[in-house]
Amino acid sequence: MVDAGAQAPGFSLTRLDGTMAQFDCGPLSKWRLLFFFETDCPTCRLAIPYINRLAQEIGDRSEIIGISQDAAPPTRELIDQAPIQFPVAIDNDLTVTKLYDPVAVPTLFLIDSDGRIAKTLEGFDKRILNEIASEMAGASITIAEPSDGAPNTRFGCTSRHLEPQADGELATAANPYAKRGGRASRIELDDSIDPFEYCLRFGDPLPVIPPTVERVERILKETSYAPDEVIAHIPPNYGAATVEKIAANAVMAGCKPEMMRMLIPLVRAVCDERFNIHGVQATTHFAAPLVIINGPIRKELGFACGSNVFSNVARANSTLGRAFQLILTNLGGARPGEIDMSTLGNAGKFSYCIAENEEQSPWEPLHVEMGLRPEQSALSLFAAESPHGVSEHMAREGKEILKAISRALATVWSYRVCAGVEALVVLCPEHVRTMSRDGFTKQTVREFLFENTGIPMRHYESGAGEGTQHVKIYKQGVIDGERCYLKFTDPSAIKLLVAGGTAGKFSAVIGSWAAGPRGSQMVTYPISTGPLF
Amino acid sequence: MPTILVNPLDETPRVSSPAAPRLASMTGTTIGLLDISKPGGNIFLDHLEQMLKDSYGVAQVVRAMKPTFTKPAPDSVIAKFIDAKCDAVIEALAD
Repeated sequence: MVDAGAQAPGFSLTRLDGTMAQFDCGPLSKWRLLFFFETDCPTCRLAIPYINRLAQEIGDRSEIIGISQDAAPPTRELIDQAPIQFPVAIDNDLTVTKLYDPVAVPTLFLIDSDGRIAKTLEGFDKRILNEIASEMAGASITIAEPSDGAPNTRFGCTSRHLEPQADGELATAANPYAKRGGRASRIELDDSIDPFEYCLRFGDPLPVIPPTVERVERILKETSYAPDEVIAHIPPNYGAATVEKIAANAVMAGCKPEMMRMLIPLVRAVCDERFNIHGVQATTHFAAPLVIINGPIRKELGFACGSNVFSNVARANSTLGRAFQLILTNLGGARPGEIDMSTLGNAGKFSYCIAENEEQSPWEPLHVEMGLRPEQSALSLFAAESPHGVSEHMAREGKEILKAISRALATVWSYRVCAGVEALVVLCPEHVRTMSRDGFTKQTVREFLFENTGIPMRHYESGAGEGTQHVKIYKQGVIDGERCYLKFTDPSAIKLLVAGGTAGKFSAVIGSWAAGPRGSQMVTYPISTGPLF
Repeated sequence: MPTILVNPLDETPRVSSPAAPRLASMTGTTIGLLDISKPGGNIFLDHLEQMLKDSYGVAQVVRAMKPTFTKPAPDSVIAKFIDAKCDAVIEALAD
């Protein structure tokens, strides 16, 4: 790799529009930053929002160039989805990559105004990112907060020019850059064994469809990935989720082949450190990862978002949710009674997958709130308890409905526990219509619930108990004339979703697991539209 | 005709390491106590520290705390025990 202190090599690259661009790395009046990345590297995806923030902070004072080691179509897709908000050039013949010779991606090369390499960063490291940002800005700035829930450091993936070429080459557990796993072994059953009976050992206790070689291959045809490509290592056991293993579990759950479009980003999302599946799987709490689907993919793959949305209503919801749980158990290792020692568990550990009823919502859908465009498809993950119903058929005003919901919200986790928890409020179409008629927006609903959800201070006067030990950090307010501790630290702790059938005034409150950077944070990942995903 | 299945379970190659040698005696040793930051952990560890010193002749106790019980210990916490050359470490769960 070209080290700090060396002269940065000049190069020419193809821009995304196909034209060539010369990069003379001689003396310039400003700093430059080269960001080498791959389109399927989770660490690159993790770094992108921070580089976007850097680009925004420094404006025209410095220049950032993303260098994609992949072809134009997947690069365009990543730019569109992530999104990437700085210029990107294509290096899929790896000429410039070989010139700079990074071992891993992402790698950053900071080039000073004399054309020398001032600093490099391989993989992801918040401290060095902030140093680079400060150099470029000419003042101390922070683009990566140490406690935003993302890891402070993370290894990258092998740079494309150093990837093993041989098919099926075994990755060793000790190599953090390994992206190829082994092929799955084959299990031969003679005719005396009933495959359905045999497969009861794989995953949840209900029967599964035997993952025969033919069935798995049919699913693998739906993806452009190699069967032995590792999408992620799933905590808590960090088993390698290869595309073939994901496909085998998808078959068992009864997924249609096209469900691979969902499963690849879903496995990436659940391994995002901000979501912290390690803790979600190992806790004794009720939490299970709830999958929430948004965008056109709902119609394309048949996800239900109307009546019975939490139930056994649609093959897409049920099979995706089940495949996800089988993957977490079979590859991540969180088997009930072993690593998963949840005290009471959660029925959602069979399958927990819903979609937003965007057509019945007057507001922007969840994925748009999380920074994506309405026409994109997305999945979000929330570490969720079971839904707690709120029936309100008599209220005639939006405010009255919200007051009913606030009473249920106050009991999330435990009545006297405030702060450190979040909640997902699933609003039914009839309730939403009343709120919208009364002028509520998503944000004002959130603020109303924040201000009106609290626990009267008099309930803390007697005895010790969970929640009473932390009152010093709780926010205070007055609700209906009574002094209260506010349940949540911020309105953003209340997530809103519209779902369910058009008849019935039933909404639901879903408590979180330990929330925020010290627990689990909601993550949203885009779903690819094209054949390359 | 036999049915051939694709193994859906984890087959990641694992490197196994032998367990650290057990201490023959605790007398004069340095023991690390890891608090995972759950409620009550400090009460349990305070008591344990006293017992180790009073009844087992432990020379020194090194205490460290994880920033959150929900995630694995960061390297900086583990480094504290390594830097102090602990002979053994005890992890407290609590609640």
